[in-house]
Amino acid sequence: MADTPLFPVTTVGSWPRSTSLIRALRAKQNGEMSDSEFNRLADQEVISCIRSQEEAGVDIVTDGEQRRDNFYSYVVDKLAGMQLMKVSDLLDYANDRARMEEVLRALDVPAFAIKSPIVVDKLGKKEGLSLDELAFMKEHTDRQIKIPIPGPYMLTRSSWFEGLSDKVYESAEELSKDVVTILREEVLALRDMGCDFIQFDEPILSQTVFGEESTETFMCAALPQRRDPTEELEFAVRLMNETMEGISGVRTGVHVCRGNWSRKEDVLLVGNYGPMLPHLMQMNIDQLVLECATPRAGEMEVFKEYANEKEIGLGVVNPRTDEIEPAEDIVARVRDILQYFSPDKVYLNPDCGFGTFAERNVNTPEIAEKKLQAMSAAAVILRAEFG
Amino acid sequence: MAQEENLNGLPKEKLIEVLESFRDPEVFNAVTGPWKSRVVWQGGMRAKAYMRNHVAEMDEPGDLTATDVAASAHEQLLSAMGSCITVGYIVNATKRGVRVHDLEIAVDGYFDNIRKWAGVEEEGNPGYGRISAKAFVRADADEETLRDIFRLAVEGSPVTQTVRHANEVSTELEVIG
Repeated sequence: MADTPLFPVTTVGSWPRSTSLIRALRAKQNGEMSDSEFNRLADQEVISCIRSQEEAGVDIVTDGEQRRDNFYSYVVDKLAGMQLMKVSDLLDYANDRARMEEVLRALDVPAFAIKSPIVVDKLGKKEGLSLDELAFMKEHTDRQIKIPIPGPYMLTRSSWFEGLSDKVYESAEELSKDVVTILREEVLALRDMGCDFIQFDEPILSQTVFGEESTETFMCAALPQRRDPTEELEFAVRLMNETMEGISGVRTGVHVCRGNWSRKEDVLLVGNYGPMLPHLMQMNIDQLVLECATPRAGEMEVFKEYANEKEIGLGVVNPRTDEIEPAEDIVARVRDILQYFSPDKVYLNPDCGFGTFAERNVNTPEIAEKKLQAMSAAAVILRAEFG
Repeated sequence: MAQEENLNGLPKEKLIEVLESFRDPEVFNAVTGPWKSRVVWQGGMRAKAYMRNHVAEMDEPGDLTATDVAASAHEQLLSAMGSCITVGYIVNATKRGVRVHDLEIAVDGYFDNIRKWAGVEEEGNPGYGRISAKAFVRADADEETLRDIFRLAVEGSPVTQTVRHANEVSTELEVIG
C-alpha cells in the first residue's frame, strides 16, 4: 500500500452529475445511446471530478461514481441475472403492497423514481464490477484511489425480491453465496490492479437498525419487509467476513450512513452507532467510514469501548448543505474523536457522497469542492499538531 | 405510406382526429352515454362489476369481517379518478407532442362521516368529504408546459369533475319474486 499522510482526506464516493451526464445515462438506459458513446462523455466527467478533488487537496480520490446510476444499482450492467427495476414494476410482485404504499406516502416520492437491481436469474459475472473504473482512474491520476462497491449484505438484500428472485434462489441466504463469490473475486482483482482502498457500502444497515415504518426508504426495494435487526447485523457480519476471508494487501472499509436522498434533515434517520458497533467491530475490514457531522449521528462516546480497534473514516462535513464548514470546526470534531482513536487511525471524509443517486444530486460541484478544501485545510492544521 | 407518429404509446394524428370528431353531434351523442355497469353480489361484502367486456371485483377490508379479496368500491373510485387524470394527461401531452416517460398519481380520500354508513349515526355525509391527488411526472417539456397539461387533465377529467360537482343521481329498487 502506498504511503498515506496523517489524517488523509478522501470522499465517500459520489460527485454531483451534470445535466448532460444524467440525460446521457437515461438515454443509455432507454437503449438510445451506446455504452461507448456514454463512456466518452463519462470519461470527461470523471477526469473533471478527479481534477476537482486533486485541486481541493484530496489524498485518496474516487471517480465520483459518474458512470453509475447509483452506488449499487450500477451492478446490473456488470452482472448476468440482474435487472434494474422500478419500484412501480415491483408493485406487481410485492406480497405487502399496502406497506410499500405507506413508505411511498411517507417519503412523498413516486414509485417510478426508485430503481433497484433485482435478481431474476442465476447470478453470474459479465465483467468486474469496477475494474474498468479503476483502470481509467489509474491512467488519469497519481493519487491513491478508493473504489466503493456495494457490500455483500447490501447487494444480497437489495437484489433478492420475493416473487421474482425466489424462482431462482430459494432465499436471500442462497443468493448470498453467489454474491460473496463475486465480491471476493472483485476484491482480489481490484487489489491486484493496485487499488489502494476498497470501500464496501452498507448504508442499509442503519435502515435495518434505525428505520421505523414511517421513515423507511426504498434505498433497497426489498427493505419494507421488516426483519430482526440483530439477526440482520449478524448476517451482514458473516457475509463480510466470508467475502474477506484470507484476503490482505489492500485497505478496506465499510460505509454506513443514515440516508442521503434528501436535504431535509428531518426525514433522514437518527441514532448513535451504539447498537451497530459490536457487529461492525467483528467485520474483517480496516476502517469504518461513518457519518458523524450531523447531530443525527449521536454521541461519539459510543466509540470509547472500541478505542483504536479499527480506523475511522470520520464524516466531518455534511454533503447536503450550502454552508462550508470552517476548518477550525472540522479540527475540533477530529480532536473530539482523538479521545478514542490515535491520529494514525483517523481519515477525513464527508458524511456521504455528493450525489448518491444520479438524478438526485444533493449539492453542486462548486460547493462540494469548497467543502473538500475546508477538509484539506483542517488536515494541514492537524498534521502540524500531531505529525 | 409514411409511418404514423406514435407518441406515448398512442397514434398522435389519429388521436387528434378522433378527438376532433366529438364536434360532430352524432359522435357526441354516442359518447355522452349511457355508460353502463352491472354489479352482481357475490356473497359477503363481495361484488363483481361488469362493464362492456370487462369485469372488476370489489370487496371490503378484513377488519370489517369481509374477505378482502379485492379493493373496496370507494377505493376504486379514488383509483378511477387517478386513472381518469392519467388518461387526460397522456391525451393532452400527446396532442402537444410531449413525450412522457413516467406518470404516477397518488390519490387520498377522507370520509366526512363514515358512522352513517355503519348505521351508528343518522346525520352527515358518509362519502368522501376531502379528496386530494398528487401527480409525479417525468417528461420532455418545461415545467410550465407540464403544469398546464396537468390543469387541462384535471379540468377535463369526467371522473374528477363528477366527484367535484353535485350531480343528479336517481336510484330505485325492484323486489323480485
